[in-house]
Amino acid sequence: MELTILHLYPDMMDLYGEYANLAVLRRRLEALGVSVTVTGCAPEDAPDFASADLIYMGAGTERRQKYALTALLPHADALKAAVERGAAVLFTGNAMETLGASVTDASGKVWQGLGLADFTTVETDKRSPGDVVAVPVLWDAPAVGFMNKCSTTRGIAAPLFSRLTLGFGNEAEHGAEGYVSGNVFATHITGPVLVKNPDFLDFLTRRLFAQKGWDLPEALPALPHQREAYETTLAELEKRTK
Amino acid sequence: MRMFLAILVCKLLRFIGKLVGKGSSLPGEYALKICPDVLRRVKLPEHIIAVTGSNGKTSTVEMIAAILRESGQEVVYNAEGSNQIEGVTTLILCSSTFTGKMRGDVLLLESDERYARLSFKWFHPTHFVITNLYRDQLTRNGHPEWVYDAILPAVHPDTTLVLNADDPLVSCFARGHGKVKWFGLEKCSISTAEHQGVYHDGARCPVCGGPMEYGCYHYEHIGHYRCPSCGHSRHAPDFAVTALDLAAGKLTIDGGTDISLAFKSIYNVYNILAAWSVCSLAGADTQVMARVINNYILKNGRMVRFTLGGHRGTLLTSKHENSVAYNTNLSYIRAAGEPCSVLIIVDAISRKYFTGETSWLWDIDFGRLDCGAVQKVILCGKYVHDLAMRFDYTSIPPEKIVCCDTVAQAAGALSEDGGKEPLYVVTCFSDRDKLLNLVQKEET
Repeated sequence: MELTILHLYPDMMDLYGEYANLAVLRRRLEALGVSVTVTGCAPEDAPDFASADLIYMGAGTERRQKYALTALLPHADALKAAVERGAAVLFTGNAMETLGASVTDASGKVWQGLGLADFTTVETDKRSPGDVVAVPVLWDAPAVGFMNKCSTTRGIAAPLFSRLTLGFGNEAEHGAEGYVSGNVFATHITGPVLVKNPDFLDFLTRRLFAQKGWDLPEALPALPHQREAYETTLAELEKRTK
Repeated sequence: MRMFLAILVCKLLRFIGKLVGKGSSLPGEYALKICPDVLRRVKLPEHIIAVTGSNGKTSTVEMIAAILRESGQEVVYNAEGSNQIEGVTTLILCSSTFTGKMRGDVLLLESDERYARLSFKWFHPTHFVITNLYRDQLTRNGHPEWVYDAILPAVHPDTTLVLNADDPLVSCFARGHGKVKWFGLEKCSISTAEHQGVYHDGARCPVCGGPMEYGCYHYEHIGHYRCPSCGHSRHAPDFAVTALDLAAGKLTIDGGTDISLAFKSIYNVYNILAAWSVCSLAGADTQVMARVINNYILKNGRMVRFTLGGHRGTLLTSKHENSVAYNTNLSYIRAAGEPCSVLIIVDAISRKYFTGETSWLWDIDFGRLDCGAVQKVILCGKYVHDLAMRFDYTSIPPEKIVCCDTVAQAAGALSEDGGKEPLYVVTCFSDRDKLLNLVQKEET
């Protein structure tokens, strides 16, 4: 069993410990007997979407997000082809915004998006960082995390989270958050979202196994401390939602 | 008249505040309500020195004050760290006559990096020291470029910028600015060819986004950089540490002045150099500066020595949400080289606000504790499982790691374990008293 992860621009879109998402996913997959290859891709290079089973990009500063978008745009068709083939995509933080039709920056300049979806994002000069508790559409347990954004995203019909009990969603306080379409998953939750959320990690693991046509054991092996850490954070955040 | 009233109210409230132990921002807040432009009206001293940046503000300001006072100058500064506009207003008005003339030769300000533009709307520093820009409290600050954009409007064309030449983002402040002086560290014994750390904020050019090249790294993304795409590169420093032996605690400034370090940390080196640079620009004598700064022991209490059971302890105050502060202390422990135990506490992430955000743990290079000297690592606090999970992804052998749910449990275990090895504690202001209340502190 072999699986290839393409990590887009790890030295540019790496603002909040994003690499940890791939570290825990890799360890989880290896515990299940999968041989995992993680390939980093620099903005100067053409991404090898054809051989990727999972394509990942994390958060960057607003300027770096535009550099990333500019670098990716010539390869948008190759990315779409990979998605049609069934490759999984996970974009976290403001990487999510690049999947849409456009990103308008705080100066009003419109940047063309990758066009995998038709949503649009508008950045402002005001930042609203905050803790998040999110109600997932695709799995049961609430997700926890942190958002650090200065934008609103409109036009998402299929969110990854139906609502937030804490935090600012795509376009509203407590509103729906993220984006999902087939095997494309995106959330503005920044940083190590798969570290913080064992159920999201389980969900993604199952999706990857299904995508590859592999049999999955009923129970997935737990990563030490992950569940306890999640429960601590959830309990703390829920004190603030009541 | 409004200015007079503002000064009167400010002084009165400060006087009452001191009696009842209140902070220093409220008097300024009221004064600003009475006279919003009072800071423009007051006559300020000839030299106004401001210091901002992610790390090292408090220490740098303290050393600047010590040098300039030894040079015979009267220095007024915000030693209490009230570094937003209200606190700055309190400081200035309480140091002024009722006719609006501030006493002193030098106004010295530690300036909050996000709010500097509010203070400097009404007056501007003659010298503005910017130490560094790192990932620091991203839950409040967003990211270093966001902080850069927040500081930029505070830079007045008449101000002399005193910039860290070795920080690629800080050096961007010089773009389009006439008056700039640089300080930096030349290639020396601590410099490395490869970047150290789990993330690299200097990997891409802050001006054009292209890949950056480094001649050498001093620590993190601080070093000798050059962007081949747009030419953004390190400037030759006007003030330089030309030789450094961190292990021996010796540095040489501008090839001629040897300084001994009371605290053998790379931070201390840059803080000393920043203080040296601006004091030199303010006219301080080289020999006076050298005398004051030599073996200077900071009074801000960031390092505390104590006893716990058989262990002699050293608390190294880091900042949660600040991986560079952690890394510097981890390197310090590693470099000390003596067999030791290390206690890491993450209980309340901030003392000022609540957050459950722990992504910064993944930015800390905890692998630096994977060395022969570190015999045991004790993790504790509310977020012990987040910590333990992070440590699972280092090369530190799991048998060296012990987890405790609370600080009290960790302290209890250490006091009764019969061990005599030194103990290093790495934690934040928000958590350190939870331990210090349980140990025998040494008098300082």
